[in-house]
Parts: sequence; C-alpha cells; structure tokens
Amino acid sequence: MIYESTVGVPDPPSALPGYPGPYPVGRYAAALRDRLRAFTHVAVEGEACGVRLGGGPNVYFELRDRDGALPCAMWRTDFDRLGLPEGALCDGTQLLAAGGLDFYPGGASASPRLQFRVRDLRLAGEGDLLARLARLRRELGAAGLFAPQKALPRSLLPRRIGVVTAPGGAARRDLVAGLERRGWRGTIVWADVPVQDRRAAPAIRRALSDLAGYAAVEAIVVCRGGGSIADLWAFCDEGLCREVALLAVPVISAVGHETDRTLIDDVAAVACSTPTHAAEAAVGVDCKRARGELLAGATRLEGLARGALAGRARALATASRAPREHAERERRALHQKAREMRAASARGVTERREFQRRVAATVIERKRIASRLSAAREHDALLTAARRLARAIARASERSAAALRGHAGALRAADPDRTLERGFALALDRAGEPLTSAAALRSAEAFELQLSDGRVPARIDPEEEPR
Amino acid sequence: MTDPNSPAPNPPASYETATERLETIIARLDSGQAGLRETLTLCQEGKVAIEVAAGELEAVDRGLEELRLDELIARLESGPATALAEGRDAR
Repeated sequence: MIYESTVGVPDPPSALPGYPGPYPVGRYAAALRDRLRAFTHVAVEGEACGVRLGGGPNVYFELRDRDGALPCAMWRTDFDRLGLPEGALCDGTQLLAAGGLDFYPGGASASPRLQFRVRDLRLAGEGDLLARLARLRRELGAAGLFAPQKALPRSLLPRRIGVVTAPGGAARRDLVAGLERRGWRGTIVWADVPVQDRRAAPAIRRALSDLAGYAAVEAIVVCRGGGSIADLWAFCDEGLCREVALLAVPVISAVGHETDRTLIDDVAAVACSTPTHAAEAAVGVDCKRARGELLAGATRLEGLARGALAGRARALATASRAPREHAERERRALHQKAREMRAASARGVTERREFQRRVAATVIERKRIASRLSAAREHDALLTAARRLARAIARASERSAAALRGHAGALRAADPDRTLERGFALALDRAGEPLTSAAALRSAEAFELQLSDGRVPARIDPEEEPR
Repeated sequence: MTDPNSPAPNPPASYETATERLETIIARLDSGQAGLRETLTLCQEGKVAIEVAAGELEAVDRGLEELRLDELIARLESGPATALAEGRDAR
C-alpha cells in the first residue's frame, strides 16, 4: 500500500470493508508523487506529438509509438542547453528522451498531472545528425574558422586546379563540362577519394593536404552529388573542416544539392550548389569572352593612341590659325561697337535736343507767367504813379498859375510899353535894338524913338551937342 | 584601383592585375585628360598589360591536361626533383 509504505503509519480503520482508508487525498497524491519519482530513470524512444514549445518554463510534448504514449515535459533551461536547430523538435520527430516519471499532485484549484520529466533529448536518425551539425557549426563559427578561407586571394585564371571527388561520378563530368564551357583548358589534378563511408573524411583530408602541399594547385574543388545528410556526413566531419579552414589554397565546395548545406560549405572559400557552379567559381573568367575582350581592348588602346596624336595635330593646326582668326574676331567686334556707338550718339543727340526743347518751353512758359504777373504789377504801379503825377501836375499848375499871375503883374509893371504909356520914349537903333547910353546914341547918329503910340525917327544934332 | 598617373615600372604579375591595369589605362585615356607624354606612356604600358593577359589566357588554352594525385605523389616518392619540377613548370 503506497500510503503505508511511504508514510509508515498504520492504516486507519476501514470505512469500506476490504479497503483501507479513507486517507486525505492530498497526502495520498503526494505519496504517489514520491513513489513515482523513485522509479528508475530511463531513456524512452518514440515519435514526438503535440509539441508545445510556448514561452513558459516548460516544453511539452507526447512520445508515442504503436503501443502507447507518454506525456513529457522538459524544463526550458534543459531544452535550450541542447542547442537544437530551429524547428528540429516538431510533431513526427523521432526522439530519444531520457528522464523519469513525475507527478504533479495538483491542489484545491489545480488538476493533477502525470508526466515523464525529460532531462536529456536526442533527435534520432537524421534529426540527430542535423542537431550535431548545428552544434559543430556553432563551435567552428565561434572558433573563427569560417573566415580564413574567404580571406585567401583567388586567382581569376588558375593554370592548375585540384579536384577531390569520387572516381567516375557524375560530379566529375559536370565539373569538366563546366570548365570547358568556360573555355578553360589548363591542368586538372584529380584526387580520387571515397565520398560516403567512414573512410571518406580521412581520405579527403589527406587529398586536400597533398594537393595543397605537392601538386602546386591554385584552387581545389571538393565535389560530390546529392544525398541524405547521412550520406553527406563525411563533409561535416569536424577534423576535415578544421583542416580545410586552415588550408593555404582556396577550397571551392560543391557537395550535395542546393538544399543541402554541409559544414565544409561554411569553412570553404566559396560554397557552390553544383559542380557546374564550382567550375565557374574556380575559373573566374570566361576565357573565350576574355580573349575577345582583350582583342577589343588592344584595338581600343591603339585607337586611343592614334586618336590622341591626331587630336593633338588638329589642335596644333587650329592653334596656328588662331591669331588670325582672333584678330578678325576683334575687328568684327570693333566694327560692331562703332556701329552701336554711332546709333547710340544719334539717339543721344535727338534725345538731348528734345530735352532742351522741353526745358526751354518750360522756362519760357514760366517766364511768360512771371512777366505777365510783373506787367500787371507794373501796370498797377504806373497807374498809381500816373495818378500821383496828375495830382502833382495839378498842384504844380496851380502853383505856376499863381506865380505866373505874380510874374505877369511884375512883368506888366516892368513892361516898357507901360513905361512908354507913362510918357517915356525908348531909343532904338536901326536894327530895333534899344540904345541905352548917350554914347550909343551919339555913335548911332540916326535912331528911332519908340513912343507908346509909335516910332519916330530921330537924329542928334551935333551942333546942339554940348561940348 | 591603381592611380592611372602613377608609373607602373614592372609588368603586371597576374591576369587580374593585367586586366585591371588595362581597364584603368583605357578609362584614363577615354577621359581625355592625359597629356601627350602620358598618353604614349600609358599606351606602351597597356600593350605590356595586354601581352601579360594574353599570355595567361594562352597558358590555359593548351589543351586540358589531367593528372592523378596518387601518381604525382608516387613520382614524388620515387624522385622528388621530378615531381617538384613538374609542379613548378605548371605554374
């Protein structure tokens, strides 16, 4: 009885005849878990089914075969440690799972679960090989062995190529055909090796070493036709791949078909999908085309050389004509400038004339307006002056009339006629001029006496003249 | 890429260097920037490069020769000088 043997307490009195118990179920379940865990750990084999990788702490799947099934759980940390390639564990994968039984007793709100707790896992058959390949690839990559071959210089046109392959295989024919298509007819050093069984990897290693060391090849092609990963396993051999990685001659791999990728593909300088591609990788140029291109290059070079000379000769001839042409150009330019200048000066004169005319018209107009204003002002001034003059004249006339009247009075008083009227006589010479002295009368002898009512001739009688 | 202006005193050592130099020379001449003296020098150098490249092409046009590695090694073991000489001739 599980409970008794585990806990070591006597069975309680039975409630049901023939059955010990009742026991608390949780204690019974815990005792069951302990008993199951004590089962011997084993490896079981079967097909994976219902794989749930998820994101939780466990990876779940079932292992099945024709006769039964087992629910399995594996801690994610254990699963990740395997380093399986992505998708390696999927429904249908044949597995070897190592571990032991476990029982989760559940609880008030959790269901119990029986499972096989997997501690280690191997993919059986091809799956196992792929897993090993993935692990090897990681190790070699981490060791930096993918780079050295790719850093090697590769000749575009090797004269001697080593080929490691199976004797009489189709890969061999394809490679030769590929090289011939390239127009390459150099030297091939064949290294015939087994390419499939356990002798293959050591034989390939030796061949590579000999080709690189003795045969003075410039590139080595390793090729084999397609097959399963197990068939191609020799090309995933760790020792072989490490040897290839450190070889001083570039290795071109063409193993299997396009879908296959063996470890040698990773370490080689170039990985090709087919032997034909390997031929193209080994001989970087299409020799037939290269010959044609070289001929074209030679022709081009000659043409360029001739062209350069002819071009310079033409340049020299042009240069010799240059001064005359330059002078002619200058002369034409000068004429053109002169014409332009004439036209411009004619335009200038007309414009200036017009401008002056406009200026004169403006000035005249301004003067006309100014003179009109001035004339008006002058007219007014004149008018004023005339008035003042008229007044002045009037005043002057008045004054003159008064003076005249005074003078007329004075004159009338002094008038000889008035004196004559008063009885005086005026002696006049024959010319009518007054004789105002006695001497003048004596010298005149004859004279006239002007009286108020007329003239009387007179003469001095010398006898009566007092002596 | 080699500077087209720099003189190349030695002939190219391989087909690749020869063709690369030839392309550089033709590009330089095509550009029309090379002077007369440089043009003549480049043409001369180009001819040498063509000869080298043609020689390399000729070397892989003498007819496919097929050797067997085990025979080569057997010869090496019997007379190292013979095999080594053969290896050197092939280069």
